[in-house]
Amino acid sequence: MKHNLIKRSVFLIFMTMPFVLLAQSVVKGTIEDASYGGPVAGANVIIKGTTVGAISDFDGNYEITVDSFPATLIFSSLGYGTKEVQVTSAGTINVSLAEAATGLDEIVVSGLATSIKRTNLANAVATVSATELAGTTPPKTLDGALAGKFTGAIVSANSGAPGGGMSIKFRGVTSINGNSQPLYIIDGVYLDNSSISSGGLNAVSQASGGGNASSQDNATNRIADINPDDIQTIEILKGASAAAIYGSRGAAGVVIITTKKGKSGKTKVNFSQGFGFNEAIRLQGQRDWTAALAESQYGEGALYTAAEAAGTLRDYEKEIFGEKGLISNTSISASGGSDKTTFFTGFSRNDEDGIVKNTGYKKSSFRLNVDHRFTENVKLALNTNYITSNADRGFFNNDNTGTTLGVALTATRPWDFLLPDANGNYPDHPNNSSNPLQTRDLMKNNERVNRFIVGGSLDINVYRNENSSLKLVSKAGIDTYTLAATVIFPKELQFQRPDQGGLNGVSAVSTTTNKNANYSTFLVHDWNLENDLSFNTQLGATNEQFSRNIVRVVATDLIASETNVDQGANQTVTQDRLEQEDFGFFVQESINYQDKLIGTIGLRGDKSTNNGDVNKLFYYPKASLAVNLNNFDFWNEDSFLSRLKLRAAYGEAGTFAVFGSLYTIYASTLIDSNVGIAVPLTRGNPNILPERQKELELGFDLGLIENRLSLEFTMYKKNVDDLLLLANTQPSSGFSTKWENAGELENKGVEIALNASIVQNDDFDWNAGLNWWKNKSEMVRMDVPAYNTGGFGTSLGTFRIEEGKSVTQIVGNNVDGDLVQLGNAEPDFQMSLSNNLNYKDFSLSFLWHWKKGGDNVNLTKLLSDFGGTSADYDDFTVDPNGQIKNGDYRINNGIFAGNATPFVEDASYLRLREIGLYYSVPSSTLNQWFGEAISNVKIGFSGNNLINIFDYNSYDPEVSNFGGNGLSTGVEVTPFPSSKRYMFHLSAQF
Amino acid sequence: MKILKQYSIIVLFVTALVVTSCELDGGESLNGASTSSISDDLSRGELTQALSGVLSDMRVGLATHTDVQSIFGREYYYFTSSDPRFEGDVVVGNLDNNTFYTTTPWSARYATIKDINLILEGLANTTADFSAEEISATKGVLNTLKAHELLMLSDNQNDNGIRVDVADPENLGEFLNRSAALTAISEILATAATDLAAGGTELPFNLTSGYDGFDTPADFLKFNKGLHARVEMYRGNSAAVLTLLEDSFLELSTTSINNGIYHTFSLSGADLSNPLFIAPNQEANVRVAHSSFVADAESGDNRLNKVLLRTTPRQASGLVGAYDVAIYGSNTDDVPVMRNEELILLYAEANITTSPSTAVSAINIIRSAAGLLPYVGATTPEALTNEILKQRRYSLFGEAHRWVDMRRFGRLSELPNDRATDNVPSAVPVPANEN
Repeated sequence: MKHNLIKRSVFLIFMTMPFVLLAQSVVKGTIEDASYGGPVAGANVIIKGTTVGAISDFDGNYEITVDSFPATLIFSSLGYGTKEVQVTSAGTINVSLAEAATGLDEIVVSGLATSIKRTNLANAVATVSATELAGTTPPKTLDGALAGKFTGAIVSANSGAPGGGMSIKFRGVTSINGNSQPLYIIDGVYLDNSSISSGGLNAVSQASGGGNASSQDNATNRIADINPDDIQTIEILKGASAAAIYGSRGAAGVVIITTKKGKSGKTKVNFSQGFGFNEAIRLQGQRDWTAALAESQYGEGALYTAAEAAGTLRDYEKEIFGEKGLISNTSISASGGSDKTTFFTGFSRNDEDGIVKNTGYKKSSFRLNVDHRFTENVKLALNTNYITSNADRGFFNNDNTGTTLGVALTATRPWDFLLPDANGNYPDHPNNSSNPLQTRDLMKNNERVNRFIVGGSLDINVYRNENSSLKLVSKAGIDTYTLAATVIFPKELQFQRPDQGGLNGVSAVSTTTNKNANYSTFLVHDWNLENDLSFNTQLGATNEQFSRNIVRVVATDLIASETNVDQGANQTVTQDRLEQEDFGFFVQESINYQDKLIGTIGLRGDKSTNNGDVNKLFYYPKASLAVNLNNFDFWNEDSFLSRLKLRAAYGEAGTFAVFGSLYTIYASTLIDSNVGIAVPLTRGNPNILPERQKELELGFDLGLIENRLSLEFTMYKKNVDDLLLLANTQPSSGFSTKWENAGELENKGVEIALNASIVQNDDFDWNAGLNWWKNKSEMVRMDVPAYNTGGFGTSLGTFRIEEGKSVTQIVGNNVDGDLVQLGNAEPDFQMSLSNNLNYKDFSLSFLWHWKKGGDNVNLTKLLSDFGGTSADYDDFTVDPNGQIKNGDYRINNGIFAGNATPFVEDASYLRLREIGLYYSVPSSTLNQWFGEAISNVKIGFSGNNLINIFDYNSYDPEVSNFGGNGLSTGVEVTPFPSSKRYMFHLSAQF
Repeated sequence: MKILKQYSIIVLFVTALVVTSCELDGGESLNGASTSSISDDLSRGELTQALSGVLSDMRVGLATHTDVQSIFGREYYYFTSSDPRFEGDVVVGNLDNNTFYTTTPWSARYATIKDINLILEGLANTTADFSAEEISATKGVLNTLKAHELLMLSDNQNDNGIRVDVADPENLGEFLNRSAALTAISEILATAATDLAAGGTELPFNLTSGYDGFDTPADFLKFNKGLHARVEMYRGNSAAVLTLLEDSFLELSTTSINNGIYHTFSLSGADLSNPLFIAPNQEANVRVAHSSFVADAESGDNRLNKVLLRTTPRQASGLVGAYDVAIYGSNTDDVPVMRNEELILLYAEANITTSPSTAVSAINIIRSAAGLLPYVGATTPEALTNEILKQRRYSLFGEAHRWVDMRRFGRLSELPNDRATDNVPSAVPVPANEN
């Protein structure tokens, strides 16, 4: 074989020599963007079947020497579809590239420094384009905009509070106590996505003092700072098979965000403005109060009658959650540049009020992306982003003091009079320790962020000839922010007054400074052999540094109405630091045989100060193979089946132990002015290792009827071994929990994506996408005894990590008092349907999302039963025998009988996540009105979550009292209700 | 082939940089001292801090411990809008072995014992200039406090048992039932007494103001003896109780009933506030006295000032309370660890059979302090036991004694149940995570 190959090569070289000398001809032209006509810089042009290529310059001009005609030129560029053009002679060929629509032909960033055509990819990498992300309706936050847009993810909002708070999990739960949220990378910069809780809230709510040590105050996760309008594409590596090159940070998946870049040519200015409002998706309503009911429940029939006569019966749920919050989004961007330098700059301002008074989210983002080409071979890209955001999040979720708005509402009856007098004095709540209207109006829970994200990359073509090239890519990125959180509970509040046992005012300032820095260098070598084999070799090293410092000062017993933290009798200061440095290297080799067989192998090595042995390298291998059957000679080109790719990928990736888990660290305490040290709950483990995920993914891609119908089918199995468990220890050891690598979990799943171009003609086109996915998890091995986590115990329903069971099982005591599985947070399956219809100048897009199955633990209802205020208190739907009222059943036959069954509820939903209807003013009309000054004027309406269908007995099945990490989804305790949004839009280009 | 030489230099430079920068320096536990810093070698400065940690940790979980026992003993109810299990499970007696009312008191006590064991280990390994007397005194104090924590555990767990030897987390000692546990605790206290006696005149650390009057080895020994007297009373060794009380801080006087050892609280910094304080007439969170506490009281008993008539009764799930528990007046009030009032009552109880008249005179000190006339009832052991239980009920209200007392006299069935579903359990289950 080898002998033959060499012979053949020699023969070929011999045969082609004369052509090289005699028949060389130049084809040149311009490559432009099909949608707006601007040049496409940096596009690749390759002669099909050869390795000869060229790259377009900043004006989109290319020039390529063709050895023999006829030849086929292949044009491609990141974010665009690939185009093949037959050339028969030298001359000018101008090409326009369309933005990748179906995603079949686009280029995907698959390596740390390289990209690959989607058709050659061996993984199911999901891509979300700018249009899909924010084109239909502006998302509240970037992460929220991902829900339902691709397979394999659970995207869930923790609450409806302004400023977000989301949890994203790819292909099931990947870690129980370690990080289970994906790694976000924007233009090469490792983004921080922490949720940092503010000091002072727990001092009042004392939520962590009860059955669960979490403060349960649901801070924003910081990905909310990123402006969706700046984004060109998002790529999602869902598991280790695709993300192995990210090593110890890749196991939970990687979200790679690429922002918009400028194009040389005339400077274009885009302006868009959206207005709208939001309102609660669903309110719970009131119990059917009568004087008789008020008498029997509370002995307050007379008060009811009096309030009724005075006309002061009030629906306090509406009073608090019934507001319509105004939304305004303004965005201006400009792009343009010369042949050497291009820029994209954008400014946007988002302002969204919450559905509760005094809550809201404001964000301003400024971006400048500059690309500069020093010479033909040296290119510098600099992406800078400054963000300032301001969130007022109110006071929600669980407490142990009856003070959060939600818990206070559960005890509030229509005849309670809670409104302030003319001087702003609020009456005490007659049935609760706090007056929710007073708390809403006077307390403050504010987060302010100032954030800089700067990334730079330098590309140097070290060496290039016709069949090989060597490129050096160096990248550096910094994400740094300061988060100042202010929490103020003035002394006027009912529960702050000393005669009510209050702290006489609480003021807290929490300051977080965070800096992520990452540096990397890669060498990329391309080598194309004459026998149609091409090799891509990359090798590189990365260094990531993480530094965080949180200082929280909580002052109580405040002086007068002062709120500075020195203006109080007592101050509590806590500081929490994190310093981590990782170092990694990787090598990867890809071999492509005529786009028929594409194989890749790679290895990442990682070490970190977070490991017990800081200089021990952990290795993460990967291997994949894609087979494009349609590129083989036997394939019938006219076949009904236009494309068939088989693919297989295997990879390993890790998740670091939580910072500090190596150590058993004394907690500090104080008694009688003596500082003390006390053993912590958790025993450290000096031998802790990163988790290791091994994922095998198999699948095929089909294209039918000239690829108008395409199907992507993927199956995966991923096993997470050395699972990081915050396992229970025997508490008589003095510790409640201990970090252990003590188990293995498995996720298996199927993902199907079907895309169809249903109608395609001049006036009307209709594209639809249908996604279906499911995941099934199992704890296949456990080296420690089963334990409960992420809930409030077995009498209310809790998660339980148990060998042989689903990782997300919810257990509790049943009617007979036996501990049984009562539910599972994992959905049976999810499905989404997106449609995009264009008729002449109108376009209509909508996205349905159906989550089938998956259970929540709903404790909001139980708390309102205790308050006697549940809307369904007097119904008979919970008792299996239909004999006992819901409220009584949940109390007497539920919690008091040690029966958690009534609290575990199906959390399925079907919702219209997005809908948008737009009208583009025809350019002829615009010319008539404005001349050439304005183009691309679009007006339209859009909405989020306009239709929500669910049986779940509360505000929204998408909820999490404990925020986003680990298993802690789907436990509900009086959250900030989620909202739907109605928007009007206007955009234009100048 | 075109080679750009200047870029080769860059490549070389970058490669050199990568190779040299890949060695990582060790991580650190940035956010606090590691426990091994105490257990490996205890310094003089660390001793006070580690001991303050013990005293501070002794207060953790105190509210749950006291609330649960007080509900079991039908002293008061605790209604909280945020956790219904205080009016459910705890009153019904249907106790979960993996819920906070079981696990919090257990874990908190064993955490304190861990604090103590780490210091004891540190004392064995210390290279600091502690004198033999200082080491002896410190061990005496630590073991007395450890015995106190173990007794709290054993009170809760009764015959479900507790572990006494827990120094090695990988190799925990066996479970001891009530009587074996009391024996072990008694031995620890005896050894601690010997250590304190050999402890010189000064303690090498500061105690809190809650230990005023008990802050030398000799004075601390009086607390050790008092606590030991309680243990021996629980074991039924009246003679031993009387011997121990002689060396304790017992004072047969109406004015000194509140002498003793206290947990202190404050609002500053990382200190804790008194978790048993709730302002009167609250709605969301209340501790309301069981109706029988007022109903069964003799008229004029000034110990009824431990409760306060509410403006409106508070009810929850069929339970009702008209009186707020008002033992503490603010969230910085001290909470007793052990008071002279209990010692007087132990003295009375230990004298029931051997010297009923001594018992009566001790009872009368308590009655007089409560503003009541002297005891006029029979002096049979049974009558005196009834009287002492009654005095203990009112004198030690809300201090986690009633349930233990009724249990040791086999009278749990006499405690009232207000609802058909209610039951008084005899022990807290062993937490699920013990195996």
